[in-house]
Amino acid sequence: MTTKLFGEPVRRREDARLIVGQGRYLDDIGSAALAAAFVRSPHAHARIVGIDADAALDVEGLVAIYAYEDLTGPMAEPLPVLIPHPQLTSPRTGYPLANGEVNHVGEAVVMVVATDRYIAEDACDRIVVTYEELPVVVGVDAAREAEAAVHEEIPDNVAAVHHQETGDVEAALAAAPRTLSFTQYIERSGSIPMEGRGVHARWDADDASLRVYSSTQASTSVRAAIAAKLELSVDRVEVIAPDVGGGFGMKIVHPWPEELLVPMAAIALGQEVKWSEDRREHFISSAHERQQRQEITVGYDDDGRITALDVHVWHDNGAYTPYGIIVPIVTATQLIGPYVIPAYRVKVESVYTNTVIVTPYRGAGRPQGCYAMERTLDRIADALGMDRALVRERNLIQPDQFPYDQHLTFQDGRPVIYDSGDYPGLMAKLKALVGWDDAASLRSAAEARGKLLGIGMAMYVEGTGPGPYEGGHVQVLGSGKVLVSTGLTSQGQGHETVFAQIVASELGVPIEDVEVHTGDTRRFGYAVGTFASRAAVMSGNAVALAARGVREKALRIAADVLEADPGDLEIDDGLVQVKGTPGASIPLRTIAVLSNPLRYAFDEAAKQATQFAIPGSDDKPPVAVGDAPGLEHRDYYSPIRSTFASGAHAAVVEIDPATWEIDVVTYAVVHDCGNVVNPMIVEGQVHGGVAQGVGGALYERMAYDADGQLQNASFMDFLMPFASEVPDVVIDHQQTPSPLNPLGIKGAGEAGVIPGTAAIASAIEDATGRRIASMPIAPSQLYDLMRDENAERTMASAARTTGARA
Amino acid sequence: MNLDGSAVLHADPDRVWAVITDPAVLARTIPGCESLEQVGDDQYKMQVAVGVGAIRGSYAGEVRLSDQERPSSYVMHASGAGAPGNVRATVTINLEPDGDGTTLTYSADAVVGGPVAGVGQRMITGVAKRMAGQFFTAIDAELTGTVVPIATAPSAGTAGRPSTAALSETEGHAPAGGRVFTGRVAAPSGAVDLRSLAVGAAAGGLFTALGVVIGYRLGRRR
Repeated sequence: MTTKLFGEPVRRREDARLIVGQGRYLDDIGSAALAAAFVRSPHAHARIVGIDADAALDVEGLVAIYAYEDLTGPMAEPLPVLIPHPQLTSPRTGYPLANGEVNHVGEAVVMVVATDRYIAEDACDRIVVTYEELPVVVGVDAAREAEAAVHEEIPDNVAAVHHQETGDVEAALAAAPRTLSFTQYIERSGSIPMEGRGVHARWDADDASLRVYSSTQASTSVRAAIAAKLELSVDRVEVIAPDVGGGFGMKIVHPWPEELLVPMAAIALGQEVKWSEDRREHFISSAHERQQRQEITVGYDDDGRITALDVHVWHDNGAYTPYGIIVPIVTATQLIGPYVIPAYRVKVESVYTNTVIVTPYRGAGRPQGCYAMERTLDRIADALGMDRALVRERNLIQPDQFPYDQHLTFQDGRPVIYDSGDYPGLMAKLKALVGWDDAASLRSAAEARGKLLGIGMAMYVEGTGPGPYEGGHVQVLGSGKVLVSTGLTSQGQGHETVFAQIVASELGVPIEDVEVHTGDTRRFGYAVGTFASRAAVMSGNAVALAARGVREKALRIAADVLEADPGDLEIDDGLVQVKGTPGASIPLRTIAVLSNPLRYAFDEAAKQATQFAIPGSDDKPPVAVGDAPGLEHRDYYSPIRSTFASGAHAAVVEIDPATWEIDVVTYAVVHDCGNVVNPMIVEGQVHGGVAQGVGGALYERMAYDADGQLQNASFMDFLMPFASEVPDVVIDHQQTPSPLNPLGIKGAGEAGVIPGTAAIASAIEDATGRRIASMPIAPSQLYDLMRDENAERTMASAARTTGARA
Repeated sequence: MNLDGSAVLHADPDRVWAVITDPAVLARTIPGCESLEQVGDDQYKMQVAVGVGAIRGSYAGEVRLSDQERPSSYVMHASGAGAPGNVRATVTINLEPDGDGTTLTYSADAVVGGPVAGVGQRMITGVAKRMAGQFFTAIDAELTGTVVPIATAPSAGTAGRPSTAALSETEGHAPAGGRVFTGRVAAPSGAVDLRSLAVGAAAGGLFTALGVVIGYRLGRRR
């Protein structure tokens, strides 16, 4: 069999385990552990006047009750601002347990530990917290108007003003033949993983060591945070991410209060303690994203070429800023997508509201940026009466312009320089794939069926695989098994498959022999984490480099044994052989045994190895200077800067003019993430992303009322698309390899979600002739819009004889 | 931790003093007291049971009274240790006439150690308030004669065996050293009325210090 698996649609090796219920998720761990539960704030903004736990003492099985006063040392200090930034002038973070004030519904005030979760919840119910309510700020506009302040020492509610500029926008706008100005909104949604957060901690008093399992995207960083906050030496702390049922960004935040409090209790009580988040807790105490107000002014010429773009965004960052201004930076820098923008100015004001914190959710600010840019292009096309595709084509960066410097600074502090791409190629494939030029006939066919049909498109460029690094370790055992480990975590992406494909291909072994481990600090201590579409780029290249190191050592040892030149050797199917000399070969597993001069003949492998063993020379040490026993290698990949993937989506919607239900009938994706390790997994990523894109465009919103109460904090009320709402996705691939990394790959994790809102808004606008300036949009909102005499009509609709009438 | 508080008791300081320093009375009024053994003048060994959460367990404790200024003040030195942890406390107690009654004020300085120290302040203070309430309710009941004293028939043998002693007559004064006084392990009978709860709350500090030394089987009250 071939061992060249890179690029093959290998079936996901983890699925056998995950699909049949053999996964080991957080709540599957520590069935005997004490259970933690939390008393959380019912108010969006309030002072804590008192906490009376007396009635809870009657609950049989109660073990401990913790409030802020029980926190000591670093635990009593605010949680860290993970990513400080000079423009984040007023950062704020909460405390593990509220210190006198709560700033959003769901903020943890008291932790109860009991013999099981039911009892812990019963005790929570009996704890009386007295509050003095304070004025509440909900939504970007309220934060902007600043009639009330979330943090009283920040009266304007502004946490940060992020600003970047690539040319003299004022002058360019003044000189522009045409300009457009408009304001639009995008709502809150959230990652909503199937499995919420969860933490299990066990303290070994005799060994003075702590083992923590957390449903996290960054186990090594959680480890460092726990060590710092609980004043433990990092070598005394192990953090393991078990099977994780989805993260989509929110699990990159760390440390969550619970990730510190549960270990704290485990140490204080000398017993295992576990907490696993329930669904309501997830809605009101984890993280959301997306809400922005966007004020856009664009200058362009009669051909539709953009000459200047001025964007002012108000970004709702929720009650605190533990993750800095990553989302605003990503919106600001990724907004311009695949286009040439001669003069670009962006200002993002990140404002506080009394709502759940905002941290990256799949796309991480890109869907908003794409929505701003693509809707701008739609408006230019409409104003000029031009084809929306043509306007885009006229502004695209051309293939011969790479590397293309956008003269912006990315989230990793590195320049935004597009490494490679073919954007006109994407557009050509997309138009063919969706039948863009047949839209008119599709429209009339739909009208014959009493439906309003519209088509829309959106393009994006996604910076993926930011550094600083990831590492990989590859070890060949005497049994022939190949152990691969990397520090970043998995949330179901298929890492066990793609990393095994890469190592099998690099090393020349059957994939069945390869065993991949991720997110376990016992196996690999240095890692950054799984986010920003970086796992394949970073750890993929790291394990490839580690495998190459193992291969080199294996060939060196084999060369001695086979008395050949390493250059004449090859490894295939786990066998090292002299090229073109059948029979002159040695199994890789035997080399693994030979690599260790200490060879007690425990097993057959060792016995076999002895027959290959070359008598060592008496004047040399058994292990040469600079060499090491064992057939293993550890290596790291650190990129100079991010690599930029790209894509183009198109949506065809059909709207029922009676119910105004919006049905996405066709969804086309052209996707370019450089060299593809496993096309089946990439397509799965695209499908999942599109599903979340459709959800964000048509269904999902966080329905906060004016008092900061989240009114749809359950799966009864929060609409996520089912398979019945997610359209069939047709995909075409384009591969422009990245010149920046050994494997030439780019990230694919987030891409699918980015253009959804923009493309679907464009399609609805095309179908209805009404300007769509606020997303997501529900049938009832569309109904109101259609009935609103003052609703803005598109020029295209005015020109059209058919279509929706008021 | 430092804790201060006061309680109003319905008897003059002399009677309060007599009762509150009487081992037989203490044995039956200290919540959770399984036994109390006089090991010297104003010095006692106790075996007590506590029933709340991680505080649950049996503790061996010692209480010594010093600096006695009858009937106005004395200092209580308490210490105790059990599987869940240990505590050491020094409590200064003052008695002042207050109409027909007495106002008892105290100032406690306690050190709590061991795993039990990890259960959170609200657990310890909460339990202490409960026990303080129980203790002063029981003491006040002794003073006002609203309860039939439980027998403290001197029993030989070692301390520490829980016992709901048989009823029999006894006089209230303290027997000589080495005697063992059996306590009532169950919580004092009857619901605590509002006034005495208030007293208990006010007096919380005292037994916060002793919170893990003496207690009562909260868990069995329901």
